[in-house]
Amino acid sequence: MSILGDAATIVTRTISGDIDFQVVNAYRSQAAWVVFVPLTLIGGLAVYYLYRAVPWLERNLERTIVVWSYILMALIIFSGVIQRFFLSGQPAWSTTVPPLIFMIMAWYGCSFNVRLRTHLSFNEFRTKFSRKGQIAVLSLDAVLWLMFCMIVITTVSREVVRSYSNFQIVLGTDNTMQWWFLITIPVAFILMAGRVFENLFEDWSNYRNNRPLINQAVIGGDV
Amino acid sequence: MADSTLITLISLAVTVLFMLGTPVLLVIFYWVVACSFVIDLPLDNTGAEMLNVFNKGFALLAMPLFILTGDLINKSGIARRLSDFAYACLGWLRGGLAMASIGACGLFAAISGSNSATTATIGSMLHPEMVKGGYDERFSAATAAAGGTVGIIIPPSIIFIVYGFLMNLPISDLFVAGIIPGTLMVLGMMVTCFVICSINGWGYLIRLSFMRVTKTAIGAWLGFFAIGLVLWGIYTGKFSPTEAAGVTVGFCIIVGLLSYPMNKMMGTDADTPVSEKSVTSMFVVEGFTLFDIPSIVVRSAQITGILAPLIAVSVVMQQVLSAMGAQETIGSFVTSMGGYYPVLFTAMAMVFVAGMILESLPVTIILAPILAPIAASVGVDPIHFSVIFLVGASIGFITPPYGLNLYVASGVTGVPYFRLLRYSSLYLISLIAVWILVALTPELALWLLPDR
Repeated sequence: MSILGDAATIVTRTISGDIDFQVVNAYRSQAAWVVFVPLTLIGGLAVYYLYRAVPWLERNLERTIVVWSYILMALIIFSGVIQRFFLSGQPAWSTTVPPLIFMIMAWYGCSFNVRLRTHLSFNEFRTKFSRKGQIAVLSLDAVLWLMFCMIVITTVSREVVRSYSNFQIVLGTDNTMQWWFLITIPVAFILMAGRVFENLFEDWSNYRNNRPLINQAVIGGDV
Repeated sequence: MADSTLITLISLAVTVLFMLGTPVLLVIFYWVVACSFVIDLPLDNTGAEMLNVFNKGFALLAMPLFILTGDLINKSGIARRLSDFAYACLGWLRGGLAMASIGACGLFAAISGSNSATTATIGSMLHPEMVKGGYDERFSAATAAAGGTVGIIIPPSIIFIVYGFLMNLPISDLFVAGIIPGTLMVLGMMVTCFVICSINGWGYLIRLSFMRVTKTAIGAWLGFFAIGLVLWGIYTGKFSPTEAAGVTVGFCIIVGLLSYPMNKMMGTDADTPVSEKSVTSMFVVEGFTLFDIPSIVVRSAQITGILAPLIAVSVVMQQVLSAMGAQETIGSFVTSMGGYYPVLFTAMAMVFVAGMILESLPVTIILAPILAPIAASVGVDPIHFSVIFLVGASIGFITPPYGLNLYVASGVTGVPYFRLLRYSSLYLISLIAVWILVALTPELALWLLPDR
C-alpha cells in the first residue's frame, strides 16, 4: 500500500478503534511519520493556544498530573507494605502498576521542566553570546525539542498500538490494559510540544522587546 | 565513509551542541538517533525503551521515592534538625558550618539514597546560611555538590541496587560494604573543608557544648529513627529497597502532619535558636499541613522529571554502544593490561573518564558488566570491586563537563556552573585520595561484612 494509503488507514482506523494486523503494519511503515509529524506540530500549537485561552490549565495541568501520580504511586507502595505486615497480604498489582504510574509522572514532569527550562545543560558559553547568538541557540533548542517530540510520539505510538492489538494486560490484574497507561505518553509529548512553542514565542518576544533572553534556572524555584 | 568515522563526527557534533548549551537529554538522544542510523538500528527501539525503562523495573521506583523522602524530611524540619546536630558537633572547628553541611549530607544520604536529592536539599537549606555566615558563595555551592556524592555510597543507595541487580550480588552486602568508604569520603571532604576555611578564615566558631550536642541529638531523633527504619527493613529483608523508600515516605508524611499542630501548640518555630528551645519542644519538628504536600511533591517531581528521562535515553545509549561492539573493545583493552593492579587502575581510570561525560547510572549500566568479570578474573573481590566502581561513579558527579551534582548545586543555589569548579576541584582531590585508599585496602569495604 502507498504511504498516503497507510496514513489514511492509521487516521481512520485509529479514530474508529478498529485496530487489526493491517493497521499495526501501517503504523510500522513510513506513513506513521506522515501522520505524527504534522500531528505533533498541530497538537503543539493547539496546546499553546489552549494555554493562552485558559491560563489556569497552563499553570496547573502538568502539575496536577505529576502530583497525583506521585502521591498515588507512593500510596500504593506504602499501603502494599502495610497490607503485607498487618493484613492478609498485598495485591499482586501493587508492584506492577506503580512503575506505569512512574512512567507517566516522569514524562509529564519532563514536559513541565521544558517550560521551566530546568533540564540539565551547560549554559556558560551561551550566556556570553550576543543577543543574536542567544536567540539563535534558543531557536535551535526549540527545533531540537520539537524533533524530539516528533520522533518519540511516532515511535511510542507504534508501541501503543502494538500493545493494544496484543491485548496486553497489566500483570497482576484481570482486565487492566497496558495501553491505557501507554497512550498517555504521546499526549505528554504533545503537551511538551506546546511548551516548546510557548518558550519559542516568548524568546522571540523578549528578543524584539530587548528584554534579557537567558536567565539562570533554579530547580524548585518556580513551584 | 566508514562507520567509525561517521560515529566520530556524530560525537563531535553532539559535543558542539553540548557546548552551545543544548540540554544534556537532547545531546544524548540525538547521539543515539544518529548512531542508530549509522549502524542500522531501528529507531523504534528508542521509543520502546522510553516506556520499558520505567514499566519493567520496580527497583527503579526507589529513585523518585527517595527524592520525595528528601523533600519531605526537608519540609518537615527533620533535615534541619540533622544539620543542627552536625553543626553542634563540628561548629567549634574553623569552617564548622561547611563541615556540618557535609556531615548533614552523610546523615541525609542514610535516609535518601540519591546524590541529587542530597545536594538539592542540603544545598537549598544550608547555602543561604553559609553565605550569610561569611563563606564564599562558590565554595558554599561546591560544598553541597561535593557532599552529595556520598548520597549513593552511604546506604541505602539507588546505584548499589542497580549494580547488585546487574551483577547478581546481594544488595544488603553491597550496602554494608559502602558504610566505611562512605564515611571516609565524608571525613576526607571535611578535612579539605577545614583546610580551605582555615586558609581563608571563613565562618564563625561556636563553643563545643555537651548540652547543645545532646539537645540537638534529641531534636534529630526522628531523623535517626528514619535512618534506623530504612536500614532495619532492608537488612532484615522485611522490605525491598523500593518498599523501604515507600515506607519512609509514609513515615515522613505521618510525622509531618502530626508534628505541625503539636509544634504550633508548643509555640516554637524553625527560626528559634536551639539554645532558646526547651528540651520538650526538641522532640517535635515543624511539620507541614495537607495543603503543603502538593508543593513538596511538585518539587520532587521536577527533579525526577529531569533525571528519569535522562536514565531512559542513557539506557538506549548503552544498547547502541553494545550494538557497536564497544563492550568487546573495552574488555580486550583492559584485559591486555595484565595483573591485579594494572587491571584495577585501568578500570578505575575508565570509570573516572566515563563519569566525566555520563551520569552514574549509564556508567554503571555500560561498564560494570564489562569490567567486573575482568576484575574478578585477576582476583579482585566482587564486593570490593563494586565499591571501588561506585565510589568512582560517585566522584563523576563533580567532574566536569558532565558533573550532575554541579548542575544540581548550580540549579538550587543560583551560582553559575563554571564558578563552582574552583572549589569543587579541591574536594575532588580528597575524594580521589579516598578512592585510591579504598582500592588499595579491600578491608575497608569487606570488614563489616558478616561471615567472610
